[in-house]
Amino acid sequence: MVNSKTCIIDNGAYTAKVGLSTDEAPRVIPNCVMKAKSERRRAFIGDQLKDLKDASGLFYLLPFQKGYLVNWDIQKTVWDHIFSPDSSGINLNDANVIITEPPFNFSTIQEGMMEIFFEEYEVESYIRLSASKLAAIHYANERENQVSSCIVIDMGYSFIHIIPFIKGKYIKKAIKRIEVGGKVLTNYFKEVISYRHLNMMDESYVANQIKEDVCFVSENLHEDMKNAQKKGKDRIFTEYILPDFSNVKRGYIRKPEDVITDQQTVKFTNECFTIPEIIFHPSDVGIKQMGVAPTLLESLKSCEEYTHPVLLSNIIVIGGCAKFKGMKERLFKEIRCLIPNDLPLNITIPEDPISYAWQGGKEFSNFPNYFEMTVTKAEYEESGVQAANKFELFE
Amino acid sequence: MTSRESHRIKDAEKKRVLDEAARRRRARKAVEALEQDNFHDDPHADLVMSKKVPKFQDSSEGPTRAKKAKKKNNEFIRAKYRKNLGQLLEEAKMLTEEPNYFSAQAPAPTEPERHFCAVCGNFSNYTCTSCGTRFCCLRCLKTHQDTRCLKWTA
Repeated sequence: MVNSKTCIIDNGAYTAKVGLSTDEAPRVIPNCVMKAKSERRRAFIGDQLKDLKDASGLFYLLPFQKGYLVNWDIQKTVWDHIFSPDSSGINLNDANVIITEPPFNFSTIQEGMMEIFFEEYEVESYIRLSASKLAAIHYANERENQVSSCIVIDMGYSFIHIIPFIKGKYIKKAIKRIEVGGKVLTNYFKEVISYRHLNMMDESYVANQIKEDVCFVSENLHEDMKNAQKKGKDRIFTEYILPDFSNVKRGYIRKPEDVITDQQTVKFTNECFTIPEIIFHPSDVGIKQMGVAPTLLESLKSCEEYTHPVLLSNIIVIGGCAKFKGMKERLFKEIRCLIPNDLPLNITIPEDPISYAWQGGKEFSNFPNYFEMTVTKAEYEESGVQAANKFELFE
Repeated sequence: MTSRESHRIKDAEKKRVLDEAARRRRARKAVEALEQDNFHDDPHADLVMSKKVPKFQDSSEGPTRAKKAKKKNNEFIRAKYRKNLGQLLEEAKMLTEEPNYFSAQAPAPTEPERHFCAVCGNFSNYTCTSCGTRFCCLRCLKTHQDTRCLKWTA
């Protein structure tokens, strides 16, 4: 059993990060089924998207809703594809599986997942834990000094979670959730472009790419807003060349030397930085919740006071939204304003915040007590979904 | 001497103003729209899949079809877990023990809301009197009234 392979699945709401513990990096596969206007004979599952030439009007079928797995049919289709020779080629038969789930996952979903892995994929052993836990493991490992106390800010597709870990265990009562994620940002961006520039309501896929390319987090909103209105060279201003799916496959920011002939372009000014603002002020779009920095303070209140210095000096931001330029500086500025002067503050945003948790999973699979924590096939056959009760011991 | 009243007053009476409830409903709809997976309808919805039509695909492309047979015997598994988010939340409400999904939600903001012009995205100081949308200058108000204000009355 110890010799068999281990597969780590960071099953996100937008992308699944999948790979064996022997792999260098995971495959990042869209966790959805997509239908295209241009190709009406088939749907595109996960990474089959690369075969699609014209991604205009892409229609998403997502297994997750508000961050929780609810569409099992779609999820099963995507998993079947991922674990087929066409995609990753990983055969889960007799493999050990590490899979991630969101905090406060519902027990029905947990049971369903476990059943599918044991009954359908016939895995050898199974363990589920939150992606933030894996990130905390990776963080501690990177530093090699066993600091397993940290705050993980997971900015994903569906929501942002703030999860403090003390000595490798999370403080359940301190977990906070902000219901803003990449999806909200993209949808809002789509609305704004459609009203101010040209109709893109059907183009979530393209809007998401534009968001990734042009948006940044402003360090000083008032200043940037003024600069966006200015005329002349100080003006914050981006011209973006939209994809037409014949010559331009993926849109890009126009550089001064680029000559455009007949490509469609959109000029963005304050959109570039007011969209990521939602992360810091969800109330900007009518979501009645605190932004990241005050929520982090709220979360700290539920932790013992003596842990604050160590927690604040080990903040780690993961997830797709952590990739916005300027995120680190802005977070630092906002949190610094809210905490006493004598407390340390250190924020880390890894180079690849998307696969960071997966890397932690890789290290987790090498833990000496890894196999004590998993549910084996034999245990599952003995007590069914009840076997998962042992996970609580190691949480 | 039929009509001696001012036109300005007459116009003001005609102007529809959304009440508080309608504005709240609109705001809620706007937040819900941010959660949508797709704005448009399924582009393949009008396709009729007939079993008799030959499939001109190589078999490696259709894992969904290959799984059809297997699908049947695990239908019961999925029926058991098939619950939508509403049902899951309803179930979670039964468990009163904290912390739970509901207690983890970030609290309401303590700072006052910031306002942005719905038209150009600038900071906004004014509110449209009929629908409550924010705007920053007369030009933006004009655009708003021409394009959006009470155009899709909920």
